[in-house]
Amino acid sequence: MTIITVNGREVEADPARPLIDACHDNGAHVPHYCYHRGLSPVGSCRICQVVVSQGDMPPRVVAACRTPVAKGMVVNTEAEAAHGARKECLEFILKNHPLDCPICDKAGECSLQDNAYAEGQSECRSVEPRRELAKRKSLGDVIVLDQERCILCSRCVRFMEEVPQTPQLAIVGRGTHSRVETWQDQPLSGNYQGNLSDVCPVGALTLKDFRFQARVWNLRKSASTCPECSRGCSVTVEVLRDGPVKRIRPRHNEAVNGYWMCDEGRLGFHEREQRPRLAAALLAGASGLETASASRVIEVCADLISAAERPLLLASPFITDEEAELLKQLSASCGARAAVVIRDTESADADTILRTGDPSPNRRGLTEAGLEALSPAAAAAALGEADCALLLGERSAELVGFEALCALPVKLRLVLLDSYAPEGEIPALNACLGIPDWTERPGTWTNIDGHKGQLLPARPAPNGTRPLTATLRVLASILAESGTPTAADIAEEATR
Amino acid sequence: MALVKRKELSLAEKLYLPEIARGLSITLTKMFGKSITRQYPEEPLPTTAVTRGQPRLVERQDGHLACVSCGLCEAACPAYAITIDGQETDRPIEREPERFEIDMLRCILCGFCEEACPKDAIFMSSELELADYDRASLVYGLDQLRRQRPALQRRIDYIHGINERW
Ligand code: SF4
Ligand code: SF4
Ligand code: SF4
Ligand code: FES
Repeated sequence: MTIITVNGREVEADPARPLIDACHDNGAHVPHYCYHRGLSPVGSCRICQVVVSQGDMPPRVVAACRTPVAKGMVVNTEAEAAHGARKECLEFILKNHPLDCPICDKAGECSLQDNAYAEGQSECRSVEPRRELAKRKSLGDVIVLDQERCILCSRCVRFMEEVPQTPQLAIVGRGTHSRVETWQDQPLSGNYQGNLSDVCPVGALTLKDFRFQARVWNLRKSASTCPECSRGCSVTVEVLRDGPVKRIRPRHNEAVNGYWMCDEGRLGFHEREQRPRLAAALLAGASGLETASASRVIEVCADLISAAERPLLLASPFITDEEAELLKQLSASCGARAAVVIRDTESADADTILRTGDPSPNRRGLTEAGLEALSPAAAAAALGEADCALLLGERSAELVGFEALCALPVKLRLVLLDSYAPEGEIPALNACLGIPDWTERPGTWTNIDGHKGQLLPARPAPNGTRPLTATLRVLASILAESGTPTAADIAEEATR
Repeated sequence: MALVKRKELSLAEKLYLPEIARGLSITLTKMFGKSITRQYPEEPLPTTAVTRGQPRLVERQDGHLACVSCGLCEAACPAYAITIDGQETDRPIEREPERFEIDMLRCILCGFCEEACPKDAIFMSSELELADYDRASLVYGLDQLRRQRPALQRRIDYIHGINERW
């Protein structure tokens, strides 16, 4: 560590990192476009200029992202000369930038917008016409390019070269004719294209999927963990007006995913958002499943389990570590076999960047908790052997398979606690109760490397669902010898 | 106890008929003269360019709204009266509102939306009346809000004038 002075304060700086990182880490604001912590620095935009003096050398303006840290540096990020230099280069960047903010999806989270406000150059001095280039150029299925908005920072080019290491973008032409293009207008390919819209500091590369879906300041953002594979990338779930999930973006986490996430994780939520939810408590009656109260369903479920000889508790790999703990308590209190359905790892889905190909986000947490892992086929067989089964967790019905569930003997007493409604009528089904999905409940998933990923509720769960933790706790206390719910259960019941 | 002394009346006063005639003449002149009460609602209130009535969206000559659903009015509205969803259009402007709702029961006619709009797309009209049998029908959608530009021209000119002065 090297000691330098940033804005009058002595701080420790990593000599392996450029000066801009030392400034950011110590609370000094230095704007930046071409610099990105996850990419190599190039120093092309010059917006990061700061004033540096060292020893008896006179102070000079340098680009903080291309200046290595050296002992005894004195940095002033707020010097008049620094602001002046930034203002000048901002004026050049804005020279050809269209006044697009009202229709630009980046507005509200655009660093060009922020810096233009901060440096306060609201008047345009140029009278020449601005460049006219392609405004909505499709770059494949994921990304739309607006060449007019591009400020030629080359982050996208470097991202493609350095992260997925599949260079596909380039800045072609010279001078005012420079623009970002793909080779011979080929569409982009690969599973990491979505990150381009995050690295682009302006609205030049935007997600097709999110195009005009919402203004970003209307989205409520919550930290969460991606459910698509056992890497468990840290993500932010963004929800519009407590309703639909509109966007999922990577959340920086050096221990798991760095700054990135794959497109399957980013866009995977659509398919689930469209699926009909199970948001009711249903009990088998004379005319099929009939609406009942949640407490009645839980009572029936407890009766069925306590009357059974070979009860089975079969969980999906989407249950959290907390839910697994309660599941184990429940299985201890009623002597039931507790297992989790784990699909095989598809090595074809794996890559060397983030994807593990293992579709169970909490495989490690659940196997470490001591739950028996069953393949979907083995799970169907275990269901056939049991006389009463509780199928629980988000997507548990889907994992065992609708056909397999329909083929189960009718004498099996099956209870389903799932977020999604089954595709059709399942003859063996005795009761079901909706539960919140991964965007609606708190918890922890343990990823493939043992990192604990947090889930936080991003939106309220639909009416008619009941948290799995509450249900498991009440079931365990009914089935335990005491037979009476604990004070905590009653309190939790009251808050519902 | 104070004694009230009765005033001696003159003959003309004692006759009282001239006073009745005077009173009647006032009544009659007011009855047939220029009336000062307004026969609302048959006779609407006069409005000026300064009147801030309900906000309305400007329809351009080509029949499209000027609004690009940027959401700035929605963000500026202190009463949370506006809700907007955007969608893509083939026109060069790329973006237009798919849903634009103003809850007229929430709107406080402050004009912040008009001030926030970068596209000259929303203006305070001179429409002031608001009545219906249920609340839901007072949440105005795109069809109820759109007005052709001439209907708003007086206000548009006034606002442009103010902006120029600033
Ligand atoms: S498209 Fe975006 S990331 Fe790429 S060079 Fe232009 S501004 Fe930079
Ligand atoms: S006039 Fe004021 S309260 Fe009414 S919609 Fe506009 S901003 Fe909202
Ligand atoms: S501010 Fe103007 S352009 Fe933007 S959404 Fe409101 S009316 Fe439309
Ligand atoms: S951020 Fe330093 S030159 Fe671009």
